[in-house]
Amino acid sequence: MSASEEAFERAFWQAVDDLKEGEAKPIEDYLRLVPREQRDELGRMLADLFLARGPTPSAEGGESSGYRRAVAIVDEVLGSRGSAGILPGTLKAMRNARGIEPDAVVEQLAADFDVEGEAGRQALARNYHRLETGNLLGSKLSRRLLASLAAVFGVDAADVAAAARPAAQGPALRSAPAMGRSGGARAPSPAHPPSGPSDPEVELVERLFHGGPDA
Amino acid sequence: MAEFDPIEERAVEMLDDVQLEALRAKTVAANDDRFEFVLWNLCLRGVAVIEKVCRSRGGACGLDDQEIEMAIEDAAARMLLRLSRLEPQPQVHALAAEIAAACVERAWPSQKHAPRLTHRTPNLRLISGLDVAIETGKVRPNDWESS
Repeated sequence: MSASEEAFERAFWQAVDDLKEGEAKPIEDYLRLVPREQRDELGRMLADLFLARGPTPSAEGGESSGYRRAVAIVDEVLGSRGSAGILPGTLKAMRNARGIEPDAVVEQLAADFDVEGEAGRQALARNYHRLETGNLLGSKLSRRLLASLAAVFGVDAADVAAAARPAAQGPALRSAPAMGRSGGARAPSPAHPPSGPSDPEVELVERLFHGGPDA
Repeated sequence: MAEFDPIEERAVEMLDDVQLEALRAKTVAANDDRFEFVLWNLCLRGVAVIEKVCRSRGGACGLDDQEIEMAIEDAAARMLLRLSRLEPQPQVHALAAEIAAACVERAWPSQKHAPRLTHRTPNLRLISGLDVAIETGKVRPNDWESS
């Protein structure tokens, strides 16, 4: 057995013994005992070992901040379930958890649907905002839009489609203040842009968000 | 959130994971608003696993505390998405662990390594004495049911 293999085994057994004594140290302390090229492998083994031993009781005897935050996410998403199911809440939660700005999502949607003009992009931003704030009907979202959103967030398209199923007794649709502006006393913005010369890209966006699954 | 009556709620809380998953599938299919209460209970069971997996795997992958908490939030949201499906889902602890691992293993700014596009080649290592340690209970095999 080589010296590096011996060091690996020594570090592994030290972690086992420490766990048994209830004196487990952070994983990094054991990783320092082995050569750099073996740290990934030891880290994975120790992570599995620590998982098998179950959670370490916290000093306060309470729940960790991560647990509390996760429960808060579940609470918030379920509490906001409405006409587009839990999709609005989950989109917002995933976006926040990944530090993604709404503009980045809109950019990706614009690229997916070849929306290049300013009016089309504004329509995308407006509709995405309405989706995230629970002001669209899940039953009217197109499958290709849901597939594109799934790709943006790296999740299964079937999950996104399932999440968009409306609640049986969802809250009534209401207008939402536009992004980046105060609610103010301004009249609520209309669901659709004012009629005028039709822009094919705006029409495409409206179909994606309001045209139903096959649009 | 639509509610069961208090006795029903208590009964739902006492269901085991498999029974609770069956009830979830039934209430989702029926578009029964009480699905939210069932989902809430399933998620509470899954969140504990998500927290544990994200902390241990995230720590081993070199994520900092803030990144681990972001992975936990991401995984909680993704678990909700998955549990919206009509199809029966795996046991909630296994599902939560799978989602948490995926959330940790995505690309993070502080990670030293580039994201891997393929699974690692299995690299088995023999630890002398591990078999005896498992037999004698000094080391427990990884088991979501008991951990």
